[in-house]
Amino acid sequence: MIFFLFYMGSSAAQADYAAFLEKVKRTIYLDHLSPQVTEPVVRTALNQFGAVKNVQFIPNYMGPRNIAECALVEMENVRQAKAVLSEICQFPFMISGMPRPVRARPAQVEMFDERPIKPGRRIQCRWLEENDPDFEVARKMKRLTNKHAAEAAFLQKQQLQEEEKLAKQQLDTLKGNYKKYEMVDSIMADGTARRLARHYNLRVAED
Amino acid sequence: MVEADRAEDLGFKWGKTKGRGKKGVGEKQKIVQFYQSFIYDGMEYGLYDCVYMYNEVEPEPYIGKLVKIWENPDKTKKVKVLWFFRPREIAYYLGAEDTAENELFLASGEGVGLANINPLEAIAGKCNVVCTSKDSRNPQPSDEDLRTADFIFYRAFDVGHCKILDKMEEKVAGIEAKLLFNKVDVQKPDVLPKLDSDWKEVGGNALASKETEVPPKQNPSNEHISLKINGVSTDGLQRENADSNASLAKQRSSLGENPASSLGGELDETTKMNDRMENISGDSINLESKIEENLDLKASYINKQKSSLSEHPISSIGGKSEISNTNSRQENISRDKTALRPEAAVKEEGQVGNNIFRIEEKLKSAHDHCELEDRPSKKAKFDSSVKVPGEKNESSVKKLTVDLDGKDAKALAAVTASEVKSRLELAKDSQGAEKDPSKKLKPDEKSKLSYGKLPQASPRQYPDEDKKIDHKVMDITRRPDADKSRWFRAFPWEDRMKSAIEQGTLVLLQNLDPAYTSAEVEDIVWHAFKESCRAKMIQQTSISSPHCVIGFVGQAFAIFKTREAADMVVKKLTKGCLLISNGRPLVGSIGSPCFPEKNPTFFGHLVIDKLRHQMPREMREAVSTSHCSQPNTIEYDMAMEWCLLQERSDLSWKKLYKQQGEELRKLKSSLKSK
Repeated sequence: MIFFLFYMGSSAAQADYAAFLEKVKRTIYLDHLSPQVTEPVVRTALNQFGAVKNVQFIPNYMGPRNIAECALVEMENVRQAKAVLSEICQFPFMISGMPRPVRARPAQVEMFDERPIKPGRRIQCRWLEENDPDFEVARKMKRLTNKHAAEAAFLQKQQLQEEEKLAKQQLDTLKGNYKKYEMVDSIMADGTARRLARHYNLRVAED
Repeated sequence: MVEADRAEDLGFKWGKTKGRGKKGVGEKQKIVQFYQSFIYDGMEYGLYDCVYMYNEVEPEPYIGKLVKIWENPDKTKKVKVLWFFRPREIAYYLGAEDTAENELFLASGEGVGLANINPLEAIAGKCNVVCTSKDSRNPQPSDEDLRTADFIFYRAFDVGHCKILDKMEEKVAGIEAKLLFNKVDVQKPDVLPKLDSDWKEVGGNALASKETEVPPKQNPSNEHISLKINGVSTDGLQRENADSNASLAKQRSSLGENPASSLGGELDETTKMNDRMENISGDSINLESKIEENLDLKASYINKQKSSLSEHPISSIGGKSEISNTNSRQENISRDKTALRPEAAVKEEGQVGNNIFRIEEKLKSAHDHCELEDRPSKKAKFDSSVKVPGEKNESSVKKLTVDLDGKDAKALAAVTASEVKSRLELAKDSQGAEKDPSKKLKPDEKSKLSYGKLPQASPRQYPDEDKKIDHKVMDITRRPDADKSRWFRAFPWEDRMKSAIEQGTLVLLQNLDPAYTSAEVEDIVWHAFKESCRAKMIQQTSISSPHCVIGFVGQAFAIFKTREAADMVVKKLTKGCLLISNGRPLVGSIGSPCFPEKNPTFFGHLVIDKLRHQMPREMREAVSTSHCSQPNTIEYDMAMEWCLLQERSDLSWKKLYKQQGEELRKLKSSLKSK
């Protein structure tokens, strides 16, 4: 059994699709966002580069829960979108938190939720007969699909762990640094530094 | 003379002219310009070319042959299209008959469904249909022709007798059979003038006289059209709305023409009216399932057509503007509410100064309606489709009650207006109309408009709605889906998914082409399982879409109506193999998405607790803004570490997908069929 789905390319549909492609061009894809980031935050963050028209978060139904958030940000025009891209790619850009920077990329058609059907696309499907030589191949492919999905999930988990590791390591460093500065501060504050300086006959500049 | 390039839009250009024809008689005579070819959307179309015709209902376009091309004095461009049937559309009459995958049946005989007049803009593209008939008149196609053919045909379907014809008739819709066969490569120039004369004669008289006796024969073919429409209507709630459009597109059939020609022609308006008339009959037939009844109705409609024919030209002389006004108004009414129909008619009657006859007719049809709708919708072979409307009714009743409170925007959504409801209204109103035809129309209108449209609106509109309808046909972007999505915005997808998980009706589909849209997924599901569902493609992210897309599989969640349906789909997909055109079999499983938590942990944003406490209150509450990090800070160094990690992760994804793509490609190459 074969059936076709055919989406015809009427001029209006084409115009519609062309308009959509334009929209894709002026949209950027942001990822590595914190889940705490809300639309107004993204808006204010990117409004410095150009006028943000629309922000849409991409819901994550598949991956682990603590994966980074991503969003599509539509700018007013292509030029602004490019400006945002180059800016964010040049410098690590932080949105509501540090030091993990967000990342920006040009958006792709498939990232959009409500998109028009591409005119002129033709879809065919057919049920394979069980005695069809392709049947076995198709079954293998189905198994492969599941395997691939499992692999991807595993990689995702691994990466999440790496992220966690890095975050922990950085936190440790930061804490260490902070402790050091705090200690310096405190010995300055409680006069220990001055006392020691006197003891060792050193001259300490008073600030 | 008509200049060839007068068309407004750039994509359009007339080709060679083909003489002028007359439409109408006497003073109202109207000269239209016929053409042999035109260029539309960069594609050249000629007479007897096969085209896809856009239709709003079916996922697949209709296919037909252009048999007449002309421009009316008011610059509307029209084509007359002789239809092809897909085997699926006439499956009932085909019985056990074997058909090739890409076989079509040429409409022939006399009756509804043979040919229609359509706005030229409804053409959706060229279609390569090759005739493989062994008929001696048919230039036999080469192997190459057959290979490149989109469709083939060698049999015809008699729309009058509902029979499959193995041989081509001498004339189909007044067109000589030789013109319907494959074209001789280069048409000799001297053939064309000859066509000309053929045309005048044929188009004018033969056709007309043939078709005037249509009524008794129409029924069966109507039935199949209605079957088709019905099947579609199950597809989605809103498509029911589109139903009416479909009938406009397809059923603007030869019937519409024929009263015109039988009376010898008339004003443009009248032709349009006739189109409409015939829509009316088409629509009503839609709802019909018994043939005798069909006959009945038919007869009355024909009467009506005639009477309106005689009355309308008069009125259009009288006060045209007035009439169009009322008509467009009335059309709104009747479109928005069938229940209003009788009243609307009354109103018109008032304007035109006509008899009460028609009210009666209408009442009768209204009656028929009620009866009709009581019956389970359609034939056995549309099992599934029969089932679904029922369900839909229920749900739409519910929705209606919600939407009733008003807002016109929602009226659109309420298109689904439950049949139950409408039936009641219908009965009520028709009574009312009988008693007191001219009673306060306006308040009525208003109050009822908010109910939204009735699906399959019965003998809907009358005259002059044409312009609007035309517009509708051309307004091709407005797919029913668009309405759907708007309609469902009220129910966030996430909530629907959650309840679907509880009910076990959520299915995760994998291995789709990532480029598919949700609507296309719904269509695939509909075709493969005859189940309607709401689907949503999972949006890609950078993780799912590496730069090499080979490895990525499109995934979608689909919510089915019942748990059984969902289970059935999963089972079928597990046991069988549904190969999609990207060469991958669809994989289905009961979906178990995860939803974002309230306070998920996010690695990489570091805060030193003490600092947070020391932070002044205002600062904590301020919307934290953003900044670029400067290279001389510790933050910058850390950010660099993150960038490094991101790059590394990208690389590993890329590698994984590449490897997966390789594996897949290897398997794919062992597929026999492509």
